[in-house]
Amino acid sequence: MTSTPEKSNERPVTSDSPILRTVARIAVPITVLVSLVIFYQGHNLPGGGFIAGVLVAAAGAMHLLAFGIEKARHWAWWKCSVVGLLIAILTGVWPMLSGQTFMDHTVWHIGSFYLPTATFFDFGVYMIVFGTLMTVFVELGQEEGV
Amino acid sequence: MVVAALASFVQCILLLVQKSDAGVAHSIVPWIEALNIQLAFRGDSFGLFFAMIVSGIGTLVGIYSCSYIPKLDPGRVGRYYAALIAFMGAMLGVALADDLILLFVFWEITSITSFMLIGFWYEKEDGRRGAMTALQVTALGGLAMMVGFVIIGVVCDTFSLSELQTSTHLQSTLAGSVLFVPALLLMLVGAFTKSAQWPFHFWLPNAMVAPTPVSAYLHAATMVKAGIFLVGRMLPIFGGAEWWSPIVATAGLITFALGAYQAFHETDLKAILARTTLSTLGLVMFLYGINAASQDAVQILNHAVYKGALFLIVGIVEHATHTRDIRELTGLRHNMPRTFLLCVVAALSMAGLPPMFGFIAKESLYGALLDNEVLHQTPALQWFVIAICVLSNAFIFAVSFKIILGVFCGKPSAKADHAHEAGLGLLFSPAVLVAIVIGVGAAAVTHGPQNLLNGFSSSTHAHAHVALIPDFKNPGPLLLSLTTIALGVGIYVTRARVGAVQVAIRDAIPTMQSLWDQFMDTITTVATAFANRWQNGSLRWYFTGTWLFVSTLGVFALYRGGIGIDNVPLSLAGAPWYGVALCGLLIIAAVAVARATTRIAAAIAITATGYLTALLFVVYRSPDIVLTQILIETVSTIFVLLILYFMPVWKPDKLLPAGRLMNVVVACIVGVVMFLFTAVATSDQFRETRNLAGSYLARAYADANGHNAVNVIIVDFRAIDTMGEITVLVVVGLLIYGLLRSRRTMT
Repeated sequence: MTSTPEKSNERPVTSDSPILRTVARIAVPITVLVSLVIFYQGHNLPGGGFIAGVLVAAAGAMHLLAFGIEKARHWAWWKCSVVGLLIAILTGVWPMLSGQTFMDHTVWHIGSFYLPTATFFDFGVYMIVFGTLMTVFVELGQEEGV
Repeated sequence: MVVAALASFVQCILLLVQKSDAGVAHSIVPWIEALNIQLAFRGDSFGLFFAMIVSGIGTLVGIYSCSYIPKLDPGRVGRYYAALIAFMGAMLGVALADDLILLFVFWEITSITSFMLIGFWYEKEDGRRGAMTALQVTALGGLAMMVGFVIIGVVCDTFSLSELQTSTHLQSTLAGSVLFVPALLLMLVGAFTKSAQWPFHFWLPNAMVAPTPVSAYLHAATMVKAGIFLVGRMLPIFGGAEWWSPIVATAGLITFALGAYQAFHETDLKAILARTTLSTLGLVMFLYGINAASQDAVQILNHAVYKGALFLIVGIVEHATHTRDIRELTGLRHNMPRTFLLCVVAALSMAGLPPMFGFIAKESLYGALLDNEVLHQTPALQWFVIAICVLSNAFIFAVSFKIILGVFCGKPSAKADHAHEAGLGLLFSPAVLVAIVIGVGAAAVTHGPQNLLNGFSSSTHAHAHVALIPDFKNPGPLLLSLTTIALGVGIYVTRARVGAVQVAIRDAIPTMQSLWDQFMDTITTVATAFANRWQNGSLRWYFTGTWLFVSTLGVFALYRGGIGIDNVPLSLAGAPWYGVALCGLLIIAAVAVARATTRIAAAIAITATGYLTALLFVVYRSPDIVLTQILIETVSTIFVLLILYFMPVWKPDKLLPAGRLMNVVVACIVGVVMFLFTAVATSDQFRETRNLAGSYLARAYADANGHNAVNVIIVDFRAIDTMGEITVLVVVGLLIYGLLRSRRTMT
């Protein structure tokens, strides 16, 4: 059991491990794909926007740990969650334009394929979870210790 | 600002003209129907009269501000006009609202915008202080008033002012209620704080730190009259009450006398005007108190016009000389002849000399006092009141001359020497007001103003006497006016001695302001002590409180639900061996958390409990929760490690035995309650009574076209809950971003 360092700012948060990098190079894309699948199947099978968002954020965290924070810190991740919130709100407001109540979802049929409008709402959730978690990771990762 | 104000002024006049043809303009839009609250506006004559003052003086103040407000950065000037116009809108709302709750909303907006305007010079300590005091007092009153309104609404089942004013049935219902006196008192607290009546008068002089156009507009012409206006509106509802006259008349009379008396020993021009304003507000309140509502329109208009003009003139003087102290100002007449002329007219109106409007208003007041039926019941009281009024008016007379002779006449002082005459932009607005002062005075030779002003009064049978030529057959008012003038001259001549005595008295008595400050200090002390006790920064303490509360709720729910532990089959007979084994591991992990000596160890043990819980869900075959639990566990472990990385080395808490015992007790209580709660919630009996899961499962595909009931609940059935949650999530993200970023940029 190691104890936490007294002066933590001497060590960078990201490790320089080649093993982690090699694994991450394959694992990150797969995790992102899995998150999309989980998001897509959420309507009928276990999954959904929230879990998929957490999963893709985990992929993001893996990337941060393996390849460093430099690229990610210049991104405004919070914008991602704000856009997600806007999408969710718009999905809710859209039915109101045609006189229905707030959040009155319908199902669009495109051939044999069907798309419930709730999917857009779920996608908003996905983006919010991803954006918020990434904001926290990136901001915490940049801290310089106390 | 100017355009909007002018437009509303014209609209008021149009409505007035319309009204004589086609009844009272009345517009109702449903708002919160469940609570019986409507967006109701009604343009009756008293409301329109008030709205005309608001918009008319608003126009003039807007014009004046363009020249008065210095060249600051555009954002700040923009804020000024934004607050001013918001105030005007709210004030028009107060004047025209026909729903008590709507009236309250507008009322509070005027308090808030007034706070912003008083605090315009927020760099200055006294600017902030004045704004705070004004907000504290008026907001306190506003809240009291709201409670009063709610009482009225609950008792009478309507918030409509016009219904309450006209229906004798509703009025007798209200009068018969036990809540009648509380409603009256609460409503009066609102009116008294807003109109700065004794004992809440002290905020008004402090509010004089505002820019002068704001003082003229808010604290002379309009906002402080809102309280009076409200009392006028309430007179038909509460006027018959036993308590009405004693309270309203006493507070009004004290304010009237105190204001006039204190105005005399002030040395700041705006403070002088503020005190005389208090005095007039008190007077009108007093008139309502003795059921002399006929007088209100006359006195309100008179005061708005001359006091507005005087404030604007003081603004000009301050602009030119950079001081408002009358001890430093003499002989401004030479350098500022036009301002002098305007000031003479306005101040003579305040003094009550013919042919100004002020003279007529004073005559009318004395006439009303001599004829008043409330006062007639006790002649001794009547003469006492008249004596007070004469004396107060004499003080105001002396104050007027102190301004005219003291500031403008005599040899120019050092400051006055460099003064320069103001431009047209500043002179225009007071000139218009002064023209009204003379105009109404001159027009009062005929009956025109009398009919007009009586039409504006809140009283439907107003009979105020408005005439320039005194009625020599009934010489009472004229004699009282002459006495006032004689006394006033006397006070002015002996001003040095009177002033010295006043200052001596003032220093001997604690002021309401200091009492209020003490009161606020006490509140702050108590609040700080409370916060320090409960918000002591100890996580252990917060956890104890939160979990004990949750446990109490759980116990309460179990008790109310009537589902006892007897119904729960507590047996491990049907449990699979691997489930039991998992539970054993969970217990070991939980003990490890409690026994851990380093943070990392504790974090790893917590993660272990999380994953073991996830495995437990595998036993129960709920893949959704397994997935979620594992992911959340992973991500939160990353979080915890990131955070631990920056934490100093953990020193185990040295707890007293009592503290350790407390921990054990709380932990046991929480554990037992949560266990019972979970056991009951999963028991067969509970499932039978509240089969939510079944109904959701049944409806998931039929109503929402999805087989995953959990997700359908999240995005469809309970989508609004999700909406709230994701909004919180976004806000938390932004907060973390803002907090950590700003901390980094600071260091």
